Amino acid sequence: MDAIVKKYQQKFRKAREEMDRWGELQARLVSQYRNALSIIERLPVIQESKNYGSLSCVDGIVEAVVGKQMESLEIILLSLNKTLEEFRGIVLSLEKILRDSRQLVKAGSGQLTVKQLQQRIGVKPTLQDCLDGLMLLRDMHQSEYILKSSIVSALPTLILRPRVGDLGALQQLLIDQPNIPKEEVEFIYDIIFAEDIC
Amino acid sequence: MAEVTEASASERKTDEEAASPPPSSVSYPNPSGAESPSSSSSSTPLPPSVARLWRPSAQRNLRNQWSKLASCRQQWTLSSSSGRSQATSLVNASLSQRYMPSMELGVLEDMPDIRKKACQKLFKQQELHGSKLVSSYRDMVAAVVNMITAMRSMRCYLKGGTSSPLVKFSTISEEKSDTGDGGGIPVFTFWSIPYFEKLAEELVEMFKSELCLKRLIVLELLSTGCEAPQLDHLNWSNALYSGEFNDLALCGLYSAETHDPLPPRLKGGKCDMPPVKRSSQASQETVQVYLTAWLAEVNIDTHRVHEIFAIVGEEIHFNFS
Repeated sequence: MDAIVKKYQQKFRKAREEMDRWGELQARLVSQYRNALSIIERLPVIQESKNYGSLSCVDGIVEAVVGKQMESLEIILLSLNKTLEEFRGIVLSLEKILRDSRQLVKAGSGQLTVKQLQQRIGVKPTLQDCLDGLMLLRDMHQSEYILKSSIVSALPTLILRPRVGDLGALQQLLIDQPNIPKEEVEFIYDIIFAEDIC
Repeated sequence: MAEVTEASASERKTDEEAASPPPSSVSYPNPSGAESPSSSSSSTPLPPSVARLWRPSAQRNLRNQWSKLASCRQQWTLSSSSGRSQATSLVNASLSQRYMPSMELGVLEDMPDIRKKACQKLFKQQELHGSKLVSSYRDMVAAVVNMITAMRSMRCYLKGGTSSPLVKFSTISEEKSDTGDGGGIPVFTFWSIPYFEKLAEELVEMFKSELCLKRLIVLELLSTGCEAPQLDHLNWSNALYSGEFNDLALCGLYSAETHDPLPPRLKGGKCDMPPVKRSSQASQETVQVYLTAWLAEVNIDTHRVHEIFAIVGEEIHFNFS
């Protein structure tokens, strides 16, 4: 039993690595999103030829500036989607970690009993704790990934009708990551690695 | 209220990063196509013995000139981005100064002359950023001048005539009959000298027209915070720094007839000459447009620039990155 718990702790360390990478991606995603927003917010201003001051003496300048900005926006949207794809990769890894760990309790002498799963030795976590924890981590990141994809896919519609309030709210949602409460994640890890804390 | 342009600094970076496609996506022109380089007519072929020696020398020279072009481009990018941040600071200071009379100052309200002092300080800041903006612009002019020099130094001439016992080469023509392109033979694998020149010219043209546009933006930004009497010297026909018109003449951007810099225009477009100065102060939206136009570099087709360096790099076996 002790050996299986050790293996589980190993899985949790792996999950931690994946989550660290998630954090890096989050920083990248937010900065890409900000860049996209700052272009979208500018669009109404740069589309008005009356705002061009002395530049309006240059033939075709409005189309050229708007065109270039749209080009940059398109490139940013592409990189946003690439980043999302990497988020999905992390969700898949967490999924795999969960699958492998389910295999751990099934392997060997057939299905473990509920009693065995909930057996607690000292401060060590029960096997049920481990399974629940990994499942919770997977669920959190999966829902957050879905939320992020929907926020990003809403961007193109905002280009047509930018409303400053909406833009700010969506950005905040992206930063907050409501599906991944930090304390809850730490709580899970505290249970699994309780012996290290004592 | 004044901080209208904060986000663009990091955006610039992303634009640049993302704008460079991987080299694998580059398409190659067909060297035997209509614009084939080796079909230049006027040049006389070199004697085989000389051609054998000419080629390595011409290759060395081309590599040199193209890496100069590449470093000029880098210099341009750096100056352009430092110019952009100076321009942003200039604009922010000038907008703060504009809104100073209506600004809520809280407890500071009681201090004597606080608004006046703040305005003076903001004015000083504008002067500082303005002069730095001009110096960034100056660096961009220098980059274009150097590009043009490199573009014009691609040919490799025989030194001392064919009769000389020692065969030497230089980039300066000594004899009219020597066209410096080795009789139009391919220098490396496919392309002759004129084709390299053509690509360099395409590149240089983009930067030249962008330079004109930037000049107009510099002038406009410098006058955002100015009072009417100071506006007179900020005119299209006045040099931004001493010697500017000499530099512009080297770039072919100065008209000797009208004694004016050429007006800014887009590729294939035109412009009223010279740009008319407006009397009123630029609105906040207009200033934002100026900054966006600076950032957008509308005359520089980033993909094409990247492509040119990629295909040339492939041909001359040189990695520009």
